[in-house]
Amino acid sequence: MQALLTFDQAPPLAAPFRFFVTAPFFAILVGVLVLWVGPAAFVSRWTPAALALTHLVTAGFMLQVMLGAMVQVLPVVAGANIVRPLLVARVVHAAITLGALLLAAAFLSYEPLLFRLAVVCLACGLEVFVAAAAYALLGVPSTSATIRGLKLSLIGLGVTAALGLLLASALGWSLELPLLQLADLHLGWGFVAWSVALLAAVAYVVVPMFQLTPAYPDWFTRGFSSAALGTVLLWTMADLAGWASASALLAGAVVALAALFAGVTLNVQRRSKRAKFDATQHYWRVAMVSALAACALWLAAHTFFALGQWPVWPLLCGVLLFGGFMSVMVGMLYKIVPFLVWMHLQNVGRGRLAAPNMKKVLAERSMNGQMAAHFGSFALLLLAVLWPVWFVYPAGVALIVANLWLLRNLLSAVGVYRQYCLKVEALIAAQAG
Amino acid sequence: MRAEADKILDARLMEPPEPFVLTMEALDTIGADEKLLLLLSREPHPLYRALELNGFAWQTERTPDGTVEILIWHKP
Repeated sequence: MQALLTFDQAPPLAAPFRFFVTAPFFAILVGVLVLWVGPAAFVSRWTPAALALTHLVTAGFMLQVMLGAMVQVLPVVAGANIVRPLLVARVVHAAITLGALLLAAAFLSYEPLLFRLAVVCLACGLEVFVAAAAYALLGVPSTSATIRGLKLSLIGLGVTAALGLLLASALGWSLELPLLQLADLHLGWGFVAWSVALLAAVAYVVVPMFQLTPAYPDWFTRGFSSAALGTVLLWTMADLAGWASASALLAGAVVALAALFAGVTLNVQRRSKRAKFDATQHYWRVAMVSALAACALWLAAHTFFALGQWPVWPLLCGVLLFGGFMSVMVGMLYKIVPFLVWMHLQNVGRGRLAAPNMKKVLAERSMNGQMAAHFGSFALLLLAVLWPVWFVYPAGVALIVANLWLLRNLLSAVGVYRQYCLKVEALIAAQAG
Repeated sequence: MRAEADKILDARLMEPPEPFVLTMEALDTIGADEKLLLLLSREPHPLYRALELNGFAWQTERTPDGTVEILIWHKP
């Protein structure tokens, strides 16, 4: 039976896909910038190049995938319908794409006008998104840990964006602000209250469903997102009040919470009923192990004085963290993209033509090959932090290769969708004739 | 529920959309007065909508081990 699979609330395919297909371009730009700057890219986390690279990953690659996923997840998982989803997606996508590019250019040039323009674009895009998502979630009762987590992560996004816009405004309009302190708060909110909170909320649904694991434990799902947001809030208050000891302890608690999520996920994944791990599972495992390593490094550097003095640790921590996030996101795309193509084609055919098998939308071989390239580039980036002169150029090239390959894989799924639509149109025309 | 079923489809170890596809295929083969029992690890909300659209009725129960059992039959 070629049944109509009606996710009544599912937005059109073009709404999330524009974000997903744009993400690899930002990672390719990261590779190009690494090649252009060379070993100097890994001198400190505060160099213009390092800040540009960080924001190409976070405000570029990660934000694209996360907002694209939210456009899809909010209606389907939470029943929170964004009003005019395609229009919202178009506006937000255009604004954040331009904004992230301007921000990277601003960090590279320290040109105030570029910071101002980046602020305008990112503020427009993020305000429209947060307002549209908040309005959609307004009347939705928090009946599951995922819905609660989505709501709290949206608060995390709002605060992360507000702090980021404040920082960029300070650079654009020469405002007197404690930049380093605000930058750490911006990172903490973006890392835990937004990214980990959103990842956890989505993980409760997609990990058991696609990786055939038991559910996340109740004690964890019940309290995690509130604990994450609450701890980040307390840390921010202690830090702004100048209570150094409390701030240090709470910062440690924030990092420990992120490590807890990674640990629980690895434990859940260990009990997968699948005989052989697929690309998504490998991506998740590497991401969680690198997140644990980043958290362990952070805690060790704040505990042992000698390690804390090692100038390389913040960069190593950053590459582990962002490399981990990029890994889990590609892993998720490899489930979300074929599933969405299959789901939409199920309806396009209207019973005239069977939707292609999901495995044909994105071939396993292409995903595995891309995964090997991605892990290779991740390993080379870690080595480049330790020995920049030797590894920075191979790392840049590897990053470009891995993300061109990701782009090719995503576009091939889009191609399957388009070809099938054309076949259906031809069939309808033939029947009408 | 198992006693009432004419056919059982255990999809607990399958990844989406396989349970959906196999359920629809199995429903093609059951007679007007026969019932299909689907075993899953979670509630299949999208499937319910598809069943409604395609003229089926269903009844869902959750067993103590967490399995969701869905008994499906043609609407009279």
